[in-house]
Amino acid sequence: MARYILNRLVISLITAWVLVTIVFFLVRLLPGDPFLSEKVTPEIKQNMIKYYGFDKPLHIQYIRYISNLLKGDLGYSLRYKNRTVNEVIKQAFPYSADLGIRAVIFATIVGITLGIIAALNRNKPLDYLSMFIAIVGISVPGFVIGPLLQYIFAIKLKLLPVAQWKGFAYTIMPTFALSLGSIALIARLMRASMLDVVNQDYIKTAKSKGLSPTQIVWKHQIRNAILPVITVLGPVTATLLTGTFVIEQIFAIPGLGKFYILGIQNLDYSMVLGMTVFYGLFLIAANFIVDIIYGIIDPRIRIGGK
Amino acid sequence: MLRKSLALILTLLLVAGIFTGCSQQSTNQTESKQQQEQLKEKELVFAIGAEVPNLDPQKATDTYAIMIGNAVFEGLVRVYDGKVYPGMAEKWEVSEDKKTYTFHLRDAKWSDGSPVTAYDFEYAIKRLLDPKTASEYAFQGYYIVNGEEYNTGKITDPNQVGVKAIDEKTLEIKLNVPVKYFESLLSFISFMPVKKEFVEKMGEKFAADADKLLYNGPFILKEWKHEQELILEKNPNYWNKDAIKLDRVRIPIVQEVNTAWQMYENGELDFVGIPPEFVEQVKNEGKALFYYDGAEFYLQFNVKKDGKPWLANENFRKAVGFALDREDYIKAVLGGVSDPATRYVLPLLSGVEKKFAEEYPYEFYPKKADPAKAKEYLDKALKELNLSDPSKIKFELLTDDSSRAKMSAEIIQDMLRKNLGIEMTIKQVPFKQRLELMNKSDYDVVFAGWGPDYDDPMTYLDLWVTGGGHNNTGWSNKEYDELIKFAKTTGDFKKRADAMFEAEKLLLEKGPIVPVYFRQRAWTKKDYVTGLVRNFIGPDPDFIYADVEGKN
Repeated sequence: MARYILNRLVISLITAWVLVTIVFFLVRLLPGDPFLSEKVTPEIKQNMIKYYGFDKPLHIQYIRYISNLLKGDLGYSLRYKNRTVNEVIKQAFPYSADLGIRAVIFATIVGITLGIIAALNRNKPLDYLSMFIAIVGISVPGFVIGPLLQYIFAIKLKLLPVAQWKGFAYTIMPTFALSLGSIALIARLMRASMLDVVNQDYIKTAKSKGLSPTQIVWKHQIRNAILPVITVLGPVTATLLTGTFVIEQIFAIPGLGKFYILGIQNLDYSMVLGMTVFYGLFLIAANFIVDIIYGIIDPRIRIGGK
Repeated sequence: MLRKSLALILTLLLVAGIFTGCSQQSTNQTESKQQQEQLKEKELVFAIGAEVPNLDPQKATDTYAIMIGNAVFEGLVRVYDGKVYPGMAEKWEVSEDKKTYTFHLRDAKWSDGSPVTAYDFEYAIKRLLDPKTASEYAFQGYYIVNGEEYNTGKITDPNQVGVKAIDEKTLEIKLNVPVKYFESLLSFISFMPVKKEFVEKMGEKFAADADKLLYNGPFILKEWKHEQELILEKNPNYWNKDAIKLDRVRIPIVQEVNTAWQMYENGELDFVGIPPEFVEQVKNEGKALFYYDGAEFYLQFNVKKDGKPWLANENFRKAVGFALDREDYIKAVLGGVSDPATRYVLPLLSGVEKKFAEEYPYEFYPKKADPAKAKEYLDKALKELNLSDPSKIKFELLTDDSSRAKMSAEIIQDMLRKNLGIEMTIKQVPFKQRLELMNKSDYDVVFAGWGPDYDDPMTYLDLWVTGGGHNNTGWSNKEYDELIKFAKTTGDFKKRADAMFEAEKLLLEKGPIVPVYFRQRAWTKKDYVTGLVRNFIGPDPDFIYADVEGKN
């Protein structure tokens, strides 16, 4: 077991190192440099290049970055000059994660319910209604649904605040807007799966045993149909947790979503790298832990993985 | 597969939980209490579009920092609505040759209770110029004796820089040449005082948070929730506190203009910028307000471009200038908000006594296109270039990659095709790449802009001197250089303004610049908001003397 864990750990670390290295060099290939601005003169730019150590050869900069990274130091942002990337992540990620967790829970409950309703009322109005909601959910982008919600629930009905993140009332609209796509995905999957299960032999057996339809649906159909839904929940959760640019932007949520995009626009090298490392490690760490747990649960993996 | 996914989800939630754990369990109780108190207080609320990147006075460059800095710091002077008033300096004398300023400071306190002294100003200005500070706006201090030399490493001894605290209350600043706008320049954020002991104690973390700064302005920064909200409170120690009517200013950070607009409509903000699609509607309601934000946009020609001799031809450049219909352009691209640039110098900049544009009225290009005149100039150009067919003339317009930049370029393309029969191609690149291409003089014509650094036409005019740090056009004109040099050194401010006007005319006649528009912004406010000043230079909005009487 120890050997298996070690094996997984080494692979995870190599993955992380490859990721960091590729991005470190790729980001330097973007045209322009972080200190370009309309006002800056060449001499002043030289002062700034020196200050941040960009006058050193690239491989020295790389070694310095990696050794800082090993200490967990992602460096100072080039745009938010006196804040480190660590501080930015520490401050912004909780908001993204908070919103993401709400959205995952909401999407799962609503999506599964819609899917069940649709399947049990196959080709009846309720089915069409559920699937209509699902299709709308998947085809209407966040930048449409967000302002629409704001207009209806804040401006017209005066029920909710327009934006910001200061308490439960503030979370309702962004959670709904963010989960809409996932609701659609889950609902359609759940419906298909329910219809698939209904033709299985064990349902027939259950019927012939004389179980009531309600019992069949609850005990056999749903429990089996839910498996593929849970499979997609993994990637859905990861996507929702790490922050979304559009929704956070529209609802003025101080999350992590925008930093990657702004980092690239501003050529804020340390921010782009830091975000890559964070997202990368987030997924690698999660996968690593999953692999371990998996190995514990299922010995075949452990042995086969050697 | 099921187990794997379940495990993955649980792990992700767990990891997220660990990261979230340390976050704030929101202060709901204190917030509602605060809200009750706010009912009695005068609170102004408005949104800004992005986090303030940096509030360190000597390193700050962006408009939000300048706007907040104006409220929480105070320099030697304070500029309000374009006029200079005493700030930390109670009074000052200027020497006969207009090169030495002696400031006498009033009794004033930092937010930690210690006195604001002349030493704080000396330290701040030297810090601005210290190459190790790596300040982007260090050039604002180049007027001071040895300022540029120290910043660019030609001298290393800061004591040679022309700024000195004679004693706690007296500061002397020596300039290289008389600078007409020097007093108003001193209100710029780069010249705000900082206290040495405090800066050194904070190190790299100086100005990173609300409690890592000292304040001496009308307000103090009470809370700085990064990416979320800034809260300013009236400074009880401010020397002129009776003139300040607001108790609090709350500034949420809202990136989306449309979200800010909805918040305003919902009564969550007191004033707001109007998104382009609503301007017409608000205008019809009679509620729209407009102000110049100082930015000017123009076509900038690279006169040294190989294989494209027409770019170096004055008459060709003027043909382009007269072929543009500035009014139609503004209607189509900017929803009618902005002013056609019929001359080069921004009309609001100060002249000798009044506005420069009032003292020196001038109109080189018309607001509407003048196809006849454009054709005339084009024919002259073709003759000089030995060309018979205008369709031989080809060039590329470099511009940003936004959708508005695209529309702007296409409208210009269309006008040139219609009025001159010339094919212009368009190259769209990201902002930073455009700047890089401009720096390398790797463009034909670029759609560029400039905002003023100080209230004087010189901020626009000295860009185009030979060897100027921003002059990447290859244009060089002796007469122009001499006019600018004269204006920059003379102590006779009338003659100086005359020279600048001559330079402006020369630039329009022969220079590499074709002005397009002076930008305006549309905004609206609730009726109870009074005393708010929108500035085309420096801090905007200036809310320090604003009032919200009757809001609640």
